[in-house]
Amino acid sequence: MITLRGLTKRFGTATAVDGLTLDIRPGQVTGFLGPNGAGKSTTMRMVLGLDRPTAGQALVNGRSYRQLRHPLYEVGALLDATGIHPTRSARAHLVAMARSNGIPARRVDEVLDLVGLDGRAAGKPGRALSLGMGQRLGIAGALLGDPPVLLLDEPVNGLDPDGVRWIRRFTRDLADEGRTVLVSSHLMSEMEQTADRVVVLGRGRLIADAPLAELLAGRPSGTVRVRGPEPAGLTALRDRLTAEGATVDLDGTGLSVAGATAARVGDLVYELGVRVHELTPVAASLEEAFLELTADSVEYAAGPTGGEPR
Amino acid sequence: MTVLPTTTAPRSASRPAAAPSTGPFAGAVAAEWTKLRSVRSTWWTVLAAALTMAATSGQLAIYAVNANTDDDPTVNPGVLPVGDIVTGSLELTQYVVLALGLFAITSEYATGTIRTTLRCTPSRTRVLLAKAVVVGGLTFLLGLLLGGIGAAVARPVLGDWGRAPLGGTLADVAASAAYLALVGVLALGLAAALRSPVLTLTVLLALLMIVPLSLQEPGITALTRIADAFPGVAGGHFLAGDTEPYPAAVGLLLLAGWTAGGLALGRWALARRDA
Repeated sequence: MITLRGLTKRFGTATAVDGLTLDIRPGQVTGFLGPNGAGKSTTMRMVLGLDRPTAGQALVNGRSYRQLRHPLYEVGALLDATGIHPTRSARAHLVAMARSNGIPARRVDEVLDLVGLDGRAAGKPGRALSLGMGQRLGIAGALLGDPPVLLLDEPVNGLDPDGVRWIRRFTRDLADEGRTVLVSSHLMSEMEQTADRVVVLGRGRLIADAPLAELLAGRPSGTVRVRGPEPAGLTALRDRLTAEGATVDLDGTGLSVAGATAARVGDLVYELGVRVHELTPVAASLEEAFLELTADSVEYAAGPTGGEPR
Repeated sequence: MTVLPTTTAPRSASRPAAAPSTGPFAGAVAAEWTKLRSVRSTWWTVLAAALTMAATSGQLAIYAVNANTDDDPTVNPGVLPVGDIVTGSLELTQYVVLALGLFAITSEYATGTIRTTLRCTPSRTRVLLAKAVVVGGLTFLLGLLLGGIGAAVARPVLGDWGRAPLGGTLADVAASAAYLALVGVLALGLAAALRSPVLTLTVLLALLMIVPLSLQEPGITALTRIADAFPGVAGGHFLAGDTEPYPAAVGLLLLAGWTAGGLALGRWALARRDA
């Protein structure tokens, strides 16, 4: 369980995290979403006692991280893959971590095994590790103390498709074991695959905190796109669909239908004898929900001037 | 490390049921030692220190012999104890040794491992003290080794102009080791506060040499007294076993005070700063 209460972090005049109040519960994967610069990493660093909050509290199982005597037993974290000394071996990196918390050395071999790093990879110096190997090493470090709380910052970064699938299964298993799992990503599609619950940040503020299903259900459950060369026919189709209770947008290129299945739209097209060139079901995605939610809060809005200064 | 009870669960076969019996400070010291010995730069530094010591003590011994045998009768050091050559050689060798204290923290900032370190040991005081124990211990042992090397090189070069009374030489070697340990930990504390290796080395050069030397240069008593309070000069009085301007033990205490101050500064910065 991670508890945030009015958590705030300012760097000079810029507010990175703004009054965040939130509970992250055990037994589920919580997706931590937001555009770059939304405050996800800063929040995680405050939970881990690395950054000092300007105001508010971040607690892990009711205690502040800096009070923990053997933190690796309570919280595991993956922050960035680059945090290893260039001439220190991957194994020595883990052994040092294990020693600091009185974790037996054989646990190092177990976690190496668990993340799929063999003896050869473990003997490599930091500078010889690929991004993917570094990521696996970071996860091995997070698992050393078999902690009930895990924070993974952008864990799929740099992983090949096998690694991505592995991470998804792995976070799922960890949550199913009853752990608290917080996974950050700026990739909405990734969250859709793994998260049970989604927390969305924008400009350091909490935008949404809801089960994934609810966030998706808040949107129309998919639309059907229809294009055709005859405006009259499309208009007739729109009137018919509207009469059946669907919501229809007609624009220059065609129809966008919400509240009717593609099958029903196709049947009506046949019944009315309308010529169509395209009939496509468009699934509602977290991506859409996300874009809608964060539309006003993108830190670096794309534009001719290249965005506003921080 | 105690053997902890195992369970049959594959994921956490060796996970202890409760918190480990190792205390957090002992763990932090073990981790710091693991980190220091697992990087190449540590052992290159040890090798460089040994070579510098051998070269410097050889050179100082040759100077001593020359001074005794040349035509100039005004500077005749006479028969020298090898311990004097050993302690004299530290003036240069210390800059190699203090790299151990410096890199123990600056490399963590350079590579980002400081975040891992602070996640493993969230108490900043504990982290810095653990590093001080490891750096102090290693530089002390290295100091003993260097003292042995210096004595072994200087004795044959001095020939008839040298002597090596066992007790006196051992005392000088031990004092050298203590001096190097204190300077090494001072470097650690300052590096924790300053983070940049170049900046830290510059400040150390200023404290150990440049500033006190400039103060002593004009030969004004008041300025020389101020120079006497600097860590390098205080350490020098301790190593030389001086009685003026203060007893040798006071020199040691002054140097230890600088080291403690450096650590306090480092701890303050570490606790205050985001990692």
